[in-house]
Amino acid sequence: MLKTLKGGIQACVQDGGRSGYRHLGVSQAGVLDPLAMHYANALLHNEDDCAVIEITVGLCQFEFKETTNFAITGSDLGAKLNNKQLASGWRYSATVGDKLTFSSSKDGLRAYLAVQGGFRLKPVLDSNSTDLQAGFGGLTGNALKDGDVLDYNRKSPLPSVGAAQPPYNKKIRVVAGPHSDLISEAQFKQLFEQHWQVLPQSNRMGIRIDSKLDLCHKQSIPSQAVMPGIVQLPPNGKPIILSNDCQTTGGYPIIAQVIEADLRHLSQLASNQHCSFELVTRQDAKKALIEQQQHLAQFKIAINNNDKNLI
Amino acid sequence: MTNNKTYILGERALVIEIAQTTLSQQQQNKLFAMHTWMRQQKVFIDIVPAKTTITGYLMHSQDPDYWLQKMQDAWDNIEPEQYQPRTHEIMTQYGGESGPDLIEVANLLNLSPSQVIELHSSQAYQVKFLGFLPGFAYLGELDKQLHLPRLASPRTHVPKGSVAIAEDLTAVYPSESPGGWRLIGQTNMTLFDHHSKTPSIFQPGDIVKFIPSKESIC
Repeated sequence: MLKTLKGGIQACVQDGGRSGYRHLGVSQAGVLDPLAMHYANALLHNEDDCAVIEITVGLCQFEFKETTNFAITGSDLGAKLNNKQLASGWRYSATVGDKLTFSSSKDGLRAYLAVQGGFRLKPVLDSNSTDLQAGFGGLTGNALKDGDVLDYNRKSPLPSVGAAQPPYNKKIRVVAGPHSDLISEAQFKQLFEQHWQVLPQSNRMGIRIDSKLDLCHKQSIPSQAVMPGIVQLPPNGKPIILSNDCQTTGGYPIIAQVIEADLRHLSQLASNQHCSFELVTRQDAKKALIEQQQHLAQFKIAINNNDKNLI
Repeated sequence: MTNNKTYILGERALVIEIAQTTLSQQQQNKLFAMHTWMRQQKVFIDIVPAKTTITGYLMHSQDPDYWLQKMQDAWDNIEPEQYQPRTHEIMTQYGGESGPDLIEVANLLNLSPSQVIELHSSQAYQVKFLGFLPGFAYLGELDKQLHLPRLASPRTHVPKGSVAIAEDLTAVYPSESPGGWRLIGQTNMTLFDHHSKTPSIFQPGDIVKFIPSKESIC
């Protein structure tokens, strides 16, 4: 088992998220960076959507109570195993009593921790994702607290191996939203010509951003289904990029939608950092997603080849 | 035929929107009939009815244009009768500690508390859609005499089971949460259980009736 010595700012169990229950008001939840989860699981020969621990900011500590292999992906949050520095995108082995610690980094916000074979959890509504708002899923329905214990099956040590994860970008690609005509054409164009500052009120529900551009308005729309990546424009003119824990419906105009391949970049946007938007077509979005899937598929072939006599 | 538009939201969410702020019962039922049709296609991972829209999330992003056209064709041919709602009776204790805002609501509306209870419990409501919290159903339409805005400052803790009103809608809080609706009663029925395969008692389109308990303060 993996014992949480320190929960830190926010460490929570997440998988690919909950689907099939949105019409009942159940949020998607799930990892903010699916690709990081997929790489971590690929390094360990786990199923793609096997639940991992999503670590926000860092400052958490874990102790391995059983021999296993684990992988760390996402941003480098200064992970160390018994004070020995680890690299993000790598697989390592741990033995009984080993301590895994995360500090923090000014360059990254989230890291992912997976163990070989996955954690033993009881799915809630077909998912192991923690719904922090509703208080169910994951281990206890909450972020990991000091003393929380996650069970896994013992595994023999494997040699270390690493993957080159695609880099994170602060330029986020979007397609136009259905209510973009609410603002003038000139204003819409300006969305893409400046830098946006991430506000401190950002979390797993949404990322709030601001700029000097005045986008105040008095419009609302009848509440409609919303999803992660939607860029809403509330009347105060400060856009909100919805994230995985967002509610299932919303009544603010939708001016843009972050493409699926770029949702991972949102996971690393910390408060006071800057980002910008680039307008692309749905075809560009599809191409970007296919490229990402091919990259992962190639990596899986390489890792299977590398480990073929070990697993 | 009703006035509607269809569009792709993002890469694979398909939306049918009735371009009106409020729907007739006929249009509303057509949305729910559409929900049934969309479920039968087995290509959507999620189908979410909302106030004047229904949104389907395609499993894959291969062919959104094809499915958008299929949805439009289905919409043009679907009959509002093609959906079967269930009816739920919610035993409710009105007033007192169960409904801390009942007296104020009555005062603001120039009604007696028992008139408020009578107006609230004498009609059937429809689950327009769910959202805000797991199992939180927006029930409409509330009698015009009961329309009030939300509280100026929301409560930080609304107890589970609270029966509340706001504007033209009523609802039951399925779990404890913050909330700005006016609390007029409470039920001890469990509306949402995340351990259940069918977690929510209320489904979009269902009919809900409130039954005042004998202990209700009149």
